[in-house]
This record gives sequence, structure tokens and C-alpha cells, in this order.
Amino acid sequence: MTTFSKIISRPIDILNRARAEDAEYFTHVEGVGAVPRDIYKHVKSNPFGDLPRYSVHIVIQHLLVFTTFILLAASGLPIYFSDLFWASYFVSLFGGIDVARLIHRIAAFAMMFAAAYHIATIVAGTIRKIYHHEFDYKRTQLPRLKDLFDLIHDIKYFLGREPYRPKMEKFMYKQKAHYLAIIWGNFVLIAAGSVLLFPDVMAKLFPETLGKILPLEGGGLESYSAFFQDLARLMHADEAVMALILLAFWHWTNVHLVPGRFPIQWTFLTGKITREHQIEEHFLEYLNNLKEIPAEREYMKNLLKELGIDGSKVPSTADQSASSSQPADPAPPRKDMRSE
Amino acid sequence: MNLTKGHTTLALVVAAMFMLLLPGPRAEAADEYNCLMCHKHRYSARIDENGKRWNYNVDEFLYNHSVHRSIECRDCHTYIKRIPHDPVTQGVNCGNQCHIKPPFAQEKFSHEKIIAIYDQSAHGIGPADSEALKNAKPFCKYCHLNPTFTQMSEKTVPFRESLQRCLNCHPQRGVVQAYRHMTHRLRKKTSRSSKEIVQLCATCHQDTALMKKLNVSERAVTAVESYNRSIHGKLVRLGSQKAANCISCHASNALHDIHKKDDPRATIYKDNIAKTCSQCHEKTGSWFINIAVHPGEHHEGNPIIHLVSIFFRVVLYLAVFSMVGLMLFETFGRWTDGISLIFKNGTSWRGQSKRRSQKEK
Repeated sequence: MTTFSKIISRPIDILNRARAEDAEYFTHVEGVGAVPRDIYKHVKSNPFGDLPRYSVHIVIQHLLVFTTFILLAASGLPIYFSDLFWASYFVSLFGGIDVARLIHRIAAFAMMFAAAYHIATIVAGTIRKIYHHEFDYKRTQLPRLKDLFDLIHDIKYFLGREPYRPKMEKFMYKQKAHYLAIIWGNFVLIAAGSVLLFPDVMAKLFPETLGKILPLEGGGLESYSAFFQDLARLMHADEAVMALILLAFWHWTNVHLVPGRFPIQWTFLTGKITREHQIEEHFLEYLNNLKEIPAEREYMKNLLKELGIDGSKVPSTADQSASSSQPADPAPPRKDMRSE
Repeated sequence: MNLTKGHTTLALVVAAMFMLLLPGPRAEAADEYNCLMCHKHRYSARIDENGKRWNYNVDEFLYNHSVHRSIECRDCHTYIKRIPHDPVTQGVNCGNQCHIKPPFAQEKFSHEKIIAIYDQSAHGIGPADSEALKNAKPFCKYCHLNPTFTQMSEKTVPFRESLQRCLNCHPQRGVVQAYRHMTHRLRKKTSRSSKEIVQLCATCHQDTALMKKLNVSERAVTAVESYNRSIHGKLVRLGSQKAANCISCHASNALHDIHKKDDPRATIYKDNIAKTCSQCHEKTGSWFINIAVHPGEHHEGNPIIHLVSIFFRVVLYLAVFSMVGLMLFETFGRWTDGISLIFKNGTSWRGQSKRRSQKEK
């Protein structure tokens, strides 16, 4: 909220802005000291990950969804694009269309199992956390207004108008959007896929019941069953193509190929995130890590000492303006490591 | 040369293997009147007064492997009374009785019964048909070219339905035994694959100009096109043997009884359609049969589906371009702040920030 009020109230004036930012620059952590926002430029990270992010259940679920999705796309796309020249060759990889359809159904049930497994994990984990008084909705995937402000802040940072990225929770706006999209996609694909797989059952269950409540006379629709079947045909294919395009052109690139993650980010296998990534994109979660992991606290304390930012010299709010007006550089190779 | 026992055995084995390569007894066509003496010659042909080419060659090999291999030429070409024969003016009538007697029956074999069914169907020539329609309607040879000699796999059509197909031509008496004795090519509904059947029907029904000329209904003009859009059509095109082809729905096991939709004898007549669908779909009901087997374009006359289609397209472009755009933008922003591409030596922040705001401080 503070970020947003600043955006509105603050005039575009470099001096004032720099002054206001300084209150945000250092975060005092009990037993560690003042952690500068851009400390991620100075930490050492293990490429396989330093800090816990996903439990083994989530890793397994991701692998399940990942493999089944590729199988589903490979066995389903040739049917959608059956008039294109590559479709029959693609189908022959599976040993014929009848086998490909069987594989598609088996993979679909595996994917539904992964979805059920995920729901069970989330529900059980939430109950456990509530029971231990550890539950914090800010650390979940629930969308908040702050995500919108984070996005605006981030765009300003990308434009060079903000010095640092927003302080974000365990899941940032991008990940929340993606997670919601997966929930929506799963819902659409499972619902529409069931209508396609069991047309007879669905025609009996859904439209027949609906037809008794809402009798249909004339109009553009021939009947509810035809309508729902047409809708399912459309939605199943369109949603799947959209998911595939997003995965191919956005998800893989965003996770593995952007700077800092290239050539591969190991989180999907190890369930751990690198320290620099955690601090850069999930600063508030890193503060939680500092509270919860003594080894990490020790590491950060030593690093701050090494860089010459002593815990005792935490800049108070009173001398913020002084510190920003004449920035000194105690750590020579880095330009923006400010201290007194 | 010193022949040992081993050499002899080896020689025998090699000889036995070579014997496998020898041809078996030749299949011979029934050709009592030696018609092939002349007709075996390639290039025995003529161009008639209208410039039409006639080929009189009978390929002995192909004929020997066709279903009619045991039938005398003159059983079908009955108008030939003496040899060498006079110029031929008549066509062949498949309803003739030939000299073959089916097992367990006394009458001579004939295709009469199936032709009677066919004549009643939508493809049979009726008294009310226009001249154009009469010319356009297919006859026996149009479909039955005997081009395929494929081996049929077993156990694909249940016994009772296969038996019904026997009864199309053979009398009821003794057919059960005959069926059990013979490995017949009846285990599938047709000897053509589903894909070939769709291609066969499409030769005429896809010709929209011809179909429009014959005044067929609007749905029938686009029947092939809409079928290809359906899941049945897509699967058949990809080689499925399970998905429904044209005659799975449009004909019963009598195969030639294809009637128009409003004819009560038609398999797709509104009272029969549930039964037709239930050949594959077990739980058919009054609602199920409304599902479009020949679907139109997605949004024909259906505003909701049209809107959903537009919605998905808009969401697709929005999602892809905004996400990819944001990613590129993010990469640019972090790049200027000094990040390197590759994670190395425990960090990826090895460069210097090139930011304006940083320089100004």
C-alpha cells in the first residue's frame, strides 16, 4: 500500500524520490542487521538452490502435469489438425490413432490425479498450518491488490524509473496469474474433455435435466445437448492450444532462458530456489526465511559484516535524508552499496 | 572333395530353403471357352467413333485373385453366344444367375436380392428421377471395382451380424454350417477400410457443383465437409478403424439400404437413429441423438458459441503477447541493471548497472 500512495503523492522529482526510497532501502532484521534491498547482487548462490520453495509433493505434481501435458498435446493436436500433412505421421509415432486416443485418455486421468493430489496437498497443508498457527495468506497464491501495485512498480523498474524491484511475497503477480490460469485451464479441459469422452452420459445428465427446467422452443439453438457438445468441442481445443502456446513461448523461456536463470533453473527438480533469486523477486519471503532458518541468518550476518554494513549502524529514519544526500561507498567494486 | 555329414546336412538345409522360394501351384481362372486366348493380350483395345477408348485386356493375374475368379466369363457376359463374338452392345447384369451353386443350396447364385435392396435405396433409379439424376446415380461397378484383396482380420463383427450379411444373398437354409466351414470375408462390414469408404462416397458427394445440380438438401451438399470436421471424420482420416464411416450410420448390415433422412426405412430416420447410434454409443437417449454428427462451422447461427470462440481468440492473443512482452521487457530492465545471461560462480549479477537513476546519485 505504501508503494502505491507514494506513486500517487510523490512528484516526479529525483531528489525527493531518492529520499523517499531510502526508507525502503534498508530492512532491519532482528539478529542480522540492516539488509539492503539490492543485497542480491552481492550474495553467493548454489545453482541447485539454497532456500526451500516447493515441497516434494509439489515437485512430483509438477512432473506429473509436465509429462502428461506433453503426452496429451502430442496425442491430441494431430486430431485437431487432422487435415494437415504432419498429423498422420505424428499419430503413427503412437502406433495409430486408436492407440493415440487411448494414451490421451490414460494421460488425462493421470493429469486429473495430479490435480486431485494437488488439492489434497494444499488443503492438508493449510489445515496443518492453521493448526500450528503458522498460516499466512500472504504466502499463498491468493491474489491481492498488492500484486497490481507490484506490477506497476516492476514496470517502472524495467523502465529505469525505480531503483529496485518491489518487495514481493513467495508468489509474485506473474506466478499468481499463471497459477490461476492453470486452475481455469484444468477446469475447462477436464469439463470439456468429459463431455467429449462421455457424450451419451453428458447428454443424459446435463442437458436433459436442464431441458426439464428450461424447455427450449425454436431459437438459434437446436437443442441443449448439441449446444453443449459444440461448446465442449470448441473449448477443449482452444484452451489446449492456448495452454500449449503459453507454455512453449512463455513459461519455458521465462523459467529457464531469461538472464540469471539460463541455461536451466533447477527448482522444478530440487524444490529449492537460489538465494539471489529469492531476494530479488521474493524479498518478503526471504525475510521469512531469515526468521525461520538459523543458517541463513548466520550467512547474511557474516555477509553484511564482510561488506561493512554493521548491524549496530542501522540507519534510523531521522538520518535517512543525510545518508541519501551524500552516498558513500564502503564496498568499492559495487556502486550502489550505500552506508554511513 | 571330402563330403562330411555336416556338409550334407548343410546342403540339404540350403536346398530346402531354396525350395521355399519356388512358386506354388498357379491360381487358375475358370476359362472353359478360352476367352483369354485373345483377351490376355495387352493393347487389345480400340478407339470408337466418339473417340472413347476401350480396353479389352483382362489381366489374368488380377482376375485370378478377384472374387469372381471361379465364374465363367459367359456367366456374366450372357449375350456372347459364339466365338469369336459379335461386337458387344450390352452391359453386364449383376442380377444374372451364374453357374455357381452356393454350398447347402440348390439354386444358382445371383446378386438379385441385394440389387432389389439397392433399387429401393436412395441410390436406386426411381420413376420420378430427372435425366440428370439418373445419369448421376451410381451402379454396381461404380463402387465394386474389386481393387482390394486385403486379408480380413478376425473377430471384428459379431456372428449374428455377419450371418445377416450372408442372408443378403444366400438362403437361410444351411447358412450357419456354411458360415462355420468357411473363412469368409465377412468379418468386417466391408472389405474397404473406413478411409477408403469415405473417399469412395466423397467422389460424388464432395462434388458440390454436381450435388447442387441434383437439388439435394443444403445439409447434403456439405455432408462430406461437415463429416470431415467431426471427430468421426478426423479419426477416420487419421486411419482409425473404430470410428464411424459413412455407411456405419447410413446403412444397416444389408449395406445397400441407404435411404433419405425422411424415409422411414432409413437408418437415420428420426425413429431409427437412436438404434443406429447405439451400435457404438451404449447409452443413447432422446437428447444424445441431437448432437451434431455433421457439425457446421463453430458459430453458424449460434451466438453464444460464436462469442465464446471470439473470447478464446482474444484471450489467446492477449495472454501470449502480454506475457511474452512483459518477459522481454523484464529481461531488458534487468539487463540494464547489470544482470548477466549465465549464472556463474554463484551469481548472475556480475555486470555494472547502466541505469540513469543510479548514475545521477
